[in-house]
Amino acid sequence: MLNEERIILMTKMASYEENEGKKNMSIGKYFRSDYLSIQVLKAVISATVAFAIMLALFVFYDFEVFMQDIYKMDLITFAKNVLFCYVATVAVYGGIAYGVCSYRYSKAKKSLKCYYHNLKKLNSLYNE
Amino acid sequence: MTTLLEFREKVKLIYSRNEAYIQPVLKFLLAFIILNAINGQMGYMTVLDNLAVVLVAALTCSFLPVGGILFFATVFSVLHMYALSLEVALVGICIFLLMYLLYFRFSPKDSLVVVLTPLLFVFKIPYVMPVAMGLLGSPASAVSVSCGVVIYFLIAAVAGNATTISTLGSEEAAGKIRLLIDGILGNKQMVVMVAAFAITVVVVYLIRRMSVDHSWTIAMMAGAMADLVILLLGDLLYDTNISVAGAILGAVIAVAAGKIIEFFRFCVDYTRTEKVQFEDDEYYYYVKAVPKMTVTAQTKTVKKINTQRQGSGRSVTTEWTGSSRNTTSAPRSRSGYNGPYSERRSGGRSVTINSNMTGDTQDAGDDYEELF
Repeated sequence: MLNEERIILMTKMASYEENEGKKNMSIGKYFRSDYLSIQVLKAVISATVAFAIMLALFVFYDFEVFMQDIYKMDLITFAKNVLFCYVATVAVYGGIAYGVCSYRYSKAKKSLKCYYHNLKKLNSLYNE
Repeated sequence: MTTLLEFREKVKLIYSRNEAYIQPVLKFLLAFIILNAINGQMGYMTVLDNLAVVLVAALTCSFLPVGGILFFATVFSVLHMYALSLEVALVGICIFLLMYLLYFRFSPKDSLVVVLTPLLFVFKIPYVMPVAMGLLGSPASAVSVSCGVVIYFLIAAVAGNATTISTLGSEEAAGKIRLLIDGILGNKQMVVMVAAFAITVVVVYLIRRMSVDHSWTIAMMAGAMADLVILLLGDLLYDTNISVAGAILGAVIAVAAGKIIEFFRFCVDYTRTEKVQFEDDEYYYYVKAVPKMTVTAQTKTVKKINTQRQGSGRSVTTEWTGSSRNTTSAPRSRSGYNGPYSERRSGGRSVTINSNMTGDTQDAGDDYEELF
């Protein structure tokens, strides 16, 4: 005999597993600290590459002047300035990534809690 | 209004039935238009500026995810830039990479927005995008729309400086890079557009989430006004040469597009709003429930085709379901026997064919049903 309530619940859960749930489950398999560490590490790598691109564009923008000035400028001060900009870029981007991923993790966990609740409900419907 | 609602339901029904075919076709058309627009704007690589190549790329996009269109559009743009100059291509790759590394890693779903924004610029209706994304997206969509604006102005800068770049020799590599970066960063119109579009997205999003009647309409009108005011202010302050008539017309078109989106996405009946109040152990709840406007789409149902082995032959009953309209083209079956599987289904066309025996015996094995 078909149980309408059970079928509706299963359909909803299958739809969730196919769409939103797929992403949430991949997030949910991590502990919060592990997930955030991985995401922040990825963000730091991305920010490093992005900073390298921006620095290259900055150098090539005025390449001739830069090459003329390179013998006159204080390279230590220049390196310090570049390092400061790099740290600032990575810190800001890493902070944004931390905030976004933290929000996503809590949202995914909440969503998965609801999913597991439905799973239990489905189990109880089978045991009736 | 009822006709429009019926039309909406029909569109939804057709889309849900044929989603597997409609989506690839739409993706193909979008990719085809976008790649042709890129070829029209730049078109420096003659191999790419070819209908066959565009068709192959668009066909490939039709079975890839939406991000595939962005990928192909990026490849086409960079290759055209490369045909113009290696340095220009390098700057283009750097800008696309920066966008990918810093933003699209977080929000791959918004790739369609980045592709559509420059396309709407080509069609002279870019003001639709921030209003639409404010209605459909989140505040983060402001970044996607801004990326789209930057891409459009990058392509415009390449196209605008193409003659100068092509006259510069290979020893002037730094000059080419400088020319292009100045063309993008020094473009006040781009800065004003980015600011106006980003603020519009946020304004529309914030207002449409408010708990006031007609919030979507208020949001789209306020957004269009904010967009217009910022563009005009930018024009006054930085002399960006924005066409005032074009901006006003664009704002009107943006509101019209917003109304169409509202009709398909948020069609509610404020006259039947209910406000309820209740409490539990922890909270008081003040709930405002606004019912959606819906009608069931008319579907033609051929209910029975009765073949009578002895007697008058076949009778067909046709009826309209889902609205007050009800047309019967032939008399209903008089036998009263509907067979074991005949039941009325709404939202689809069903044909039930029964073989009715007028004699003593009924052949139940002849009963079958065909569903379309």
